[in-house]
Amino acid sequence: MEKAINRQKLLLDHLRPISSAKQNFDASLSASSCIAGDSSAYQRSCVYGDDVVIVAAYRTALCKSKRGGFKDTYPDDLLAPVLRALIEKTNLNPSEVGDIVVGTVLAPGSQRASECRMAAFYAGFPETVPIRTVNRQCSSGLQAIADVAAAIKAGFIDIGIGAGLESMTINPMTWEGSVNPRVKDFSHAQNCLLPMGVTSENVAHRFNVTRQEQDQAAVESHLRAAAATASGKFNDEIIPINTKIVDPKSGEEKPVTIYVDDGIRPNATLSELAKLKPVFKKNGTTTAGNSSQVSDGAGAVLLMKRSVAVCKGLPVLGVFRTFAAVGVDPAIMGIGPVVAIPAAVKAAGLELDDIDLFEINEAFASQFVYCRKKLDLDPEKINVNGGAIALGHPLGATGARCVATMLHEMKRRGKDCRFGVVSMCIGTGMGAAAVFERGDAVDDISNARKVEANRFLSKDAQ
Amino acid sequence: MPVFKTPFSGYSVKFSPFYEHRLAVATSQNFGILGNGRLHVIDLSPTPSPSPISEFAFFDTADGLYDLSWSESHDSLLLAAGADGSLKLYDLSLPPQSNPVRSLHEHSREVHSSDWSPTRRDSFLSSSWDDSVKLWTTDRPASVRTFKEHAYCVYSVAWNPRHADVFASASGDCTARVWDVREPGSTMIIPAHEHEILSCDWNKYDDCCLVTAAVDKTIRVWDVRNFRNPVAVLSGHNYAVRRVRCSPHARNLIMSCSYDMTVCMWNYMSEDALIERYDHHSEFAVGVDFSVLVEGLLASTGWDEMVYVWQQGMDPRAP
Repeated sequence: MEKAINRQKLLLDHLRPISSAKQNFDASLSASSCIAGDSSAYQRSCVYGDDVVIVAAYRTALCKSKRGGFKDTYPDDLLAPVLRALIEKTNLNPSEVGDIVVGTVLAPGSQRASECRMAAFYAGFPETVPIRTVNRQCSSGLQAIADVAAAIKAGFIDIGIGAGLESMTINPMTWEGSVNPRVKDFSHAQNCLLPMGVTSENVAHRFNVTRQEQDQAAVESHLRAAAATASGKFNDEIIPINTKIVDPKSGEEKPVTIYVDDGIRPNATLSELAKLKPVFKKNGTTTAGNSSQVSDGAGAVLLMKRSVAVCKGLPVLGVFRTFAAVGVDPAIMGIGPVVAIPAAVKAAGLELDDIDLFEINEAFASQFVYCRKKLDLDPEKINVNGGAIALGHPLGATGARCVATMLHEMKRRGKDCRFGVVSMCIGTGMGAAAVFERGDAVDDISNARKVEANRFLSKDAQ
Repeated sequence: MPVFKTPFSGYSVKFSPFYEHRLAVATSQNFGILGNGRLHVIDLSPTPSPSPISEFAFFDTADGLYDLSWSESHDSLLLAAGADGSLKLYDLSLPPQSNPVRSLHEHSREVHSSDWSPTRRDSFLSSSWDDSVKLWTTDRPASVRTFKEHAYCVYSVAWNPRHADVFASASGDCTARVWDVREPGSTMIIPAHEHEILSCDWNKYDDCCLVTAAVDKTIRVWDVRNFRNPVAVLSGHNYAVRRVRCSPHARNLIMSCSYDMTVCMWNYMSEDALIERYDHHSEFAVGVDFSVLVEGLLASTGWDEMVYVWQQGMDPRAP
């Protein structure tokens, strides 16, 4: 009987020209937020006026907390110069900026929001430009950029700034008040309280990342950062900061200009790193030498609609394509990029092979090495100018720092370097990643892939 | 004009490629929704006589029959497509009790159409509501290949008249596809209509010309070398077009039948494409065919349990 009903239904559909069946087939097609797919058989990168593009990205030097160049600098004095640089270098009228979002992690929320608002005034923004903060732990800087990009996409604003700020000198990592005893009943919640170094040991232990591999990655990071500094690669992105340094003994104030990352050790060697003792676990592998440095710094990125950039005649440094934030087990929070990167890349309609440059935050060498191995990435494409082990990891600023570093490197590398990914793990078990495309990549010859066999149809239709 | 009354609803009628007076009709009880099926083989008398049409043989089946195909290699072989998902091969030279000579049961749902290859004469195709097309040969007990790409019922298959390996399929997923049996997948996907496509046929004089008919009431003519736009869109039917056939005698002639109960003749190359409209059926007209051996001889059947055979231009109901 069911058969008869089905037959009746099917034949009845023939008499209804409004085919309900058709909609079902459409449902099997899924939209991809990026149509720049390199894996397609033909050039699909189109210049859309409503693309979100980045026209400028700058950062301060990153300095060791408590001992480095910014140990006596107010956090707002780190942020204000990079915000001002965005305006000055692009000749943008600051009143045209629709919103500023600052990623910042350790400072008390409301105080930091006030400091940021004040920093905007120091930077020369009028009172009409709003500002807010965002905290997604280590990816706050990237989240700030993603939030601004989303707001532009949504049509709330046309021009916005995504920034990051952290002074780990002034705001060290602490926990205020007592811990809710309920966490004992929730292992995941309990694991959120683990020191980050312990999660690093967990990753190293669970995925068999050796001390040797970690130290090797740390040495590489230092050497690459040293080479980049020596060749002046960071000059394009670092904004010199005029500040002061107080001599801890004499109390004497000295005006200085900070324009070099001060954590890099150009003569780092494996044997030297091998001598360091593990910090978090007896017989562990995570040492001060193969972990990211505790730093102060800030970064900022100016985003706008492509149509606005074209109107203003601003060169496009990069296109913001996609962003993904994901959750992982808090006990091994370092694996975040392993999940986040494929998610962001897939959303962009790309494959991992299409990505030409990666900036993966080196929170710990253990998780960095694991992510690199797990995703089977070419080490020559990742952190080509060093990472957080050499440069430092000012939590809230790292995302903006990575974007600035990567986009300037993509600019130097030319058209063969089309897609870049910024990613980091996030304390309490998350990961974030964003896909960027170089601004001038719309080029039929260098990007179109050879079509193997012409079967008259798009590769997608198979 | 000869008229034959079937006990069940007509679903398909085809002229024999060997005898100019012979036809076969596939029928189903209760409009094919529930009940038995019966395959009739009927003969036209060569001279006007008391009974201009007579039944040569008939075969009963447990479920309805939706289509049939005459063998291109043997004059007595006949294939019926069953609503139970089976294909049944009948040999008219054998007594009824030894028929069907083969029952091929692989489709999981109703088989809606079949086509015997005119060039590769041992092969035939079937298409089913299980979204697949199957290729068979007379000497094998199981299908040679299954072509499963369509996302909804495949209502029709048709061999290319020139290329022995090429065929087309039409589906409710709103695409027509062109296949080469040597290739793993379809070689062409034509989004031919925005509604379910119920039938397709190749032009017998142009191996690149495909005709599709759909629920959107239109018939479209395609050049498969450039299927971005149809060569012609034939509108005139008032309901879904159920079956479309290209003339074996004229390059530009197409016949169609529709749920609007009419049979239409089209000249797709002409501005006024609709040449003739026959409204002799009193229920859905679902089967039409051109005689290959007699130019201008047409046949149609429908849910009104009638089979009409007539000369083009005449009234099928004329005594």
